[in-house]
Amino acid sequence: MRVGIPHLGNLYIPLKTLFRRLNVDYVVPPLNSRRTLSLGAKYSPEGLCIPFKLTMGNLIEAAELGADTLLMPGGYGICRLGYYVRIQEQVLRDLGHPATIVELGVSERKFLGFLEMVKKLSNNAPWTKIFAAFRFGLAKLNAIDRVERAVQKVRAVERDKGTANRLYARSLDALDEADDYRTLKKVEADYLAQLDAVPRNGRQPLIVGITGEFYVLLEPFSNLDLESELGKLGVEVHRTTFISEWTKFSLFFGFLGKSKKERIHQAAMPYLKRDIGGDGWESIGEKVLYARERYDGIIHLAPFTCMPEIVAQNIMPATREEIPVLTLLCDEQMGKPGMLTRLEAFVDLLERRRQKRDNKNNSGQAQSK
Amino acid sequence: MVKVGIPRALLYYRYHPMWQTFFTRLGAELVVSPPTTRATLLAGSARVVADTCLPVKVFLGHVIHLVNKCDFVFIPVLRSVRRRVYNCSKFLGLPDMTRAVIPECPPILEIEIDVNKGEDYLHQAIYELGRHFTPKKSLIKEAAQAAWEAHDDFRKVMHHAGVMLPEAMTGREGEIREASSNSSQAAIGLIGHPYLIHDEFINHRLIERLQATHSRVVTPEMVTPGELEVATARLGRDYWAYEEEVVGAGSYFLQGKVDGIIGIATFGCGPDSLMMDMVRREAARIKSVPFMSLTLEEHTADAGVLTRLEAFLDMIHRKKRKTLPCA
Repeated sequence: MRVGIPHLGNLYIPLKTLFRRLNVDYVVPPLNSRRTLSLGAKYSPEGLCIPFKLTMGNLIEAAELGADTLLMPGGYGICRLGYYVRIQEQVLRDLGHPATIVELGVSERKFLGFLEMVKKLSNNAPWTKIFAAFRFGLAKLNAIDRVERAVQKVRAVERDKGTANRLYARSLDALDEADDYRTLKKVEADYLAQLDAVPRNGRQPLIVGITGEFYVLLEPFSNLDLESELGKLGVEVHRTTFISEWTKFSLFFGFLGKSKKERIHQAAMPYLKRDIGGDGWESIGEKVLYARERYDGIIHLAPFTCMPEIVAQNIMPATREEIPVLTLLCDEQMGKPGMLTRLEAFVDLLERRRQKRDNKNNSGQAQSK
Repeated sequence: MVKVGIPRALLYYRYHPMWQTFFTRLGAELVVSPPTTRATLLAGSARVVADTCLPVKVFLGHVIHLVNKCDFVFIPVLRSVRRRVYNCSKFLGLPDMTRAVIPECPPILEIEIDVNKGEDYLHQAIYELGRHFTPKKSLIKEAAQAAWEAHDDFRKVMHHAGVMLPEAMTGREGEIREASSNSSQAAIGLIGHPYLIHDEFINHRLIERLQATHSRVVTPEMVTPGELEVATARLGRDYWAYEEEVVGAGSYFLQGKVDGIIGIATFGCGPDSLMMDMVRREAARIKSVPFMSLTLEEHTADAGVLTRLEAFLDMIHRKKRKTLPCA
């Protein structure tokens, strides 16, 4: 049995660790590429969203590398995602790949379901070993996210553009290789220090909140590396959804990270009273919170034809909390120049808005003197 | 008398007899918006982002029509009508979305149906809805029971007597044309949601056009729930509410029950993007009945639909002539 996984940002790194520690035979398909996307788009029903198409591409590429047991999230009561597996299985079958898909119920069994699956994949490894491997994987995930958070800050203000991204790429390799807690800690501290020492340009960055559907938020390939592009324009991005958060939330639900979610839901309440599947409820709540916390603007990311995000996009302008929002729809037709033009225009608007506010504050102070 | 507005769109096509009985029993007067026109669609689509699906745009157009014509607009939220089977996000967010994009909308009567939360929750929801009209619990209970019976009768008339939905809804089932089942007549199965199959504006008078070619049209409502359930199970587990209208009916028709199947979906529909594909794949695999899928959107033109329809029917007739013994 050889296990294959689809990609979601850096999630493959902790998963690799988990499999390595439990002696599971695995393949990580190549990182998302043009080929992945064209394979996915070619064999997916046309009306589907980019998360389906990219994961479809990943599964095909994993099957090509000999994976016969593919892991995919699924479940009930979430958006279309819960239904993916049914079609993806058929696509693989029609292509003649003898692989089976193991559905990971992110909506109901949560943590227990995941552990049971790991137990099966690891050929009945003892629970202590599974827990230890799981704990280490989680530590790695958290370390990766902390480095990423630092990178988001440095990108906006670095003197030589691209420095942070280079360090980030190297840090991921080093974190991937780290095989015990001590090395992990050391690698993390080392890269955080290096990022801290990157020469700055001394400008005050614009602060933009990023919200929307989790897959296009967390998989840079699907959003054409939006965060790096914003960094080049001198914008610092804030994102509530991190892979570690998402994993924790979808695996543990009630134990960790719930109060944070509840706060977001509370903020959305006056405009949308219930969970509508996917991340639509959260998108509206985050818009309200980002506006209250006086961010400069929001970028709302959604896959093209995403059902919950269309509802969110329609409701957002009716919220009383005012803040500029740019919605970017991601699909296989999206081109970088088009996205950059829109980003530049948006950033211009935010800058002018900030200047206006600063001028007002200054003249206000002058008058009060 | 309190006037309750009912937009003639989406769930109207499935539940109107039920709603009508419930509200009139409680002493309310119903105001149903007139059938969809181009103006309905334009009014609705002007309010929302372009990516919103066609049926929702049409729905909003109907709500706009009801502004100033009623005291309440009834927009139920059907989260789940069967255990662990959920509805599309757009249905779940409908009241909130309507409020956001049509600020002049009369107060919205909401009810959340979610059978996963148990029977008590359902009863409570019904009482809360009824309390807008009467404080008497017994009256509400009676109205709800009568509504349920009306719904049952409505479904039965369609799948037992083979009455088409519009006739069953208006109680005109007596005057249906003689059902001559001529063997040379082609039977066409339509699959899709009732708000597409029975909205003549959305589907470009598809049923009328089919009948004009002397085809016999069969819709998902004409298949009994038992048969649909068996057929749905053949293609996999339940996931979406109303999956039987697409996957179930498709899988049933594919067993040679009709001469051709037309799948109707709208562009950008989340559930249909997957469900129609299930049927299409199955049709391609077993090659029993020809299958055509029509994707409709705002810009679909009559001529395009007509051309595809003619080509499809030509093929079916040729196939039928071949299989019939020479006369």
